[in-house]
Amino acid sequence: MKNLINSFIVCLGSFIIVACHDGKKTENDLEEKECCKKETNTNVEISNEIPEESLFNLTSDWETQENKVVKIQSFQNKITIAAMVFTHCEGACPRIVADIQRIEKSFTPEELKSIQFLLISMDPERDTPERCREFAKEYQLNTNWTLISSSEDATIEMANVLNVKVKKLSSGGFDHSNTIHVINQQGLITYQQNGLEQEPEGTIESVRNLLKK
Amino acid sequence: MKLKHLILILTCISFKTIFSQEKDEFNGMALIKGGEYLPLYSSDSQKVFVKSFYMDIYPITNIDYLSFIKSNSTWAKSKIKRIFADSLYLKHWVSDTVFNINISKSPVVNVSWFAAKKYCECQGKRLPTNAEWEIVAKSNQTQADASKSKEFNQWVLNWVTKHSPATLPNVGSTFKNYYGVYDMHGLVWEWTYDFNNALTTGESRGNSSLDNTFFCGGGSFGSKDLNNYASFMRFAMRSSVKAKYSVQNLGFRCVKTKKTKKIVKE
Repeated sequence: MKNLINSFIVCLGSFIIVACHDGKKTENDLEEKECCKKETNTNVEISNEIPEESLFNLTSDWETQENKVVKIQSFQNKITIAAMVFTHCEGACPRIVADIQRIEKSFTPEELKSIQFLLISMDPERDTPERCREFAKEYQLNTNWTLISSSEDATIEMANVLNVKVKKLSSGGFDHSNTIHVINQQGLITYQQNGLEQEPEGTIESVRNLLKK
Repeated sequence: MKLKHLILILTCISFKTIFSQEKDEFNGMALIKGGEYLPLYSSDSQKVFVKSFYMDIYPITNIDYLSFIKSNSTWAKSKIKRIFADSLYLKHWVSDTVFNINISKSPVVNVSWFAAKKYCECQGKRLPTNAEWEIVAKSNQTQADASKSKEFNQWVLNWVTKHSPATLPNVGSTFKNYYGVYDMHGLVWEWTYDFNNALTTGESRGNSSLDNTFFCGGGSFGSKDLNNYASFMRFAMRSSVKAKYSVQNLGFRCVKTKKTKKIVKE
């Protein structure tokens, strides 16, 4: 009987020793909690004035063609005309850029002071700031245009808040919906133009309405 | 006597080691062997290679989700920002942390894609891709690929075309498939990471005046099998929802990539 109790104690002891050795698992648990903690912290940073449906609630980091790391909220000073593109795109994207340039031309220089243009990359792997800079040069985009890219995760999240469908193809390209978004200074989408080579009147009118405010 | 103790200690340690390894790798998850997968509406050249991964054996339950809410209060139904979930988010819960005790073990539904994604991240996991989900979904009780089984397809279809009951059954109430995963069919629909890739309009074709919501497509095992209505219905579902939608029969589960010894590019 005594032997049995002895064995039991030894066995229990060894369990405890081995359990302590399981430090890795504990660290993992901490890391998971960290993920949740970070979330709370970043939420605190965002001011309460931002409407609940605002794109400025996205906390992801984006890199511009000038290698600047920005949050979507940093586009709050002007009305933004935005679209998701990828720079290796041969079909629809040059046309969507051309469509936005056409919209740009319909505004006066005075109006353009309150408007900015934003191209959001759906191809985080290949759209480096260098590549985006080349693209801007090739399409003669002025300094009022910003190209941004981020991680795959932030990109899919962005596509989802903009309701843009993106499907990566094995060729490296993407199938995607072509939408031009008008975003106001609170980060709210006020207008979406769907499809290529649409008449831009709706988009222009929606921007002008925002300018009046 | 001492030898006896030594043997006993060694036995205990090896038991513990085996046990903890199992726990680490299989803690509520099943190993799914990777392979090739052909999305619906695609040609052979668009085959996707899926790496081996672990999948939650059960969909996430209300009680699971409650513990997430308790440590992430910004995702509670009174606090969540409208950009991340519509007004129907967790509408079956009485308050931020209260729901009918009968549904504790039922799959959580009325959760947006953003919320499901965040839940998985906080477990050190992620949402499955369409390809991953569909690979597991084509298995029945005995076969990894039962997509040719008439009986299986009919069973899935019978569920798909039925209305969900007012109170969802507990997780684990349907069958355990070949991989040891429950409830891929027969309980709730589930979010996938890339649900929004459900479209067929080709970039090369430019686009069309089609409304976004009318794009259809996506990925499924039944691509070449037009009789597989259930997979088409899943695409229809995926292409009709938006990431902030909360739907009363749409839940989720998480997966984790199987770590390999190779250095994985971040």
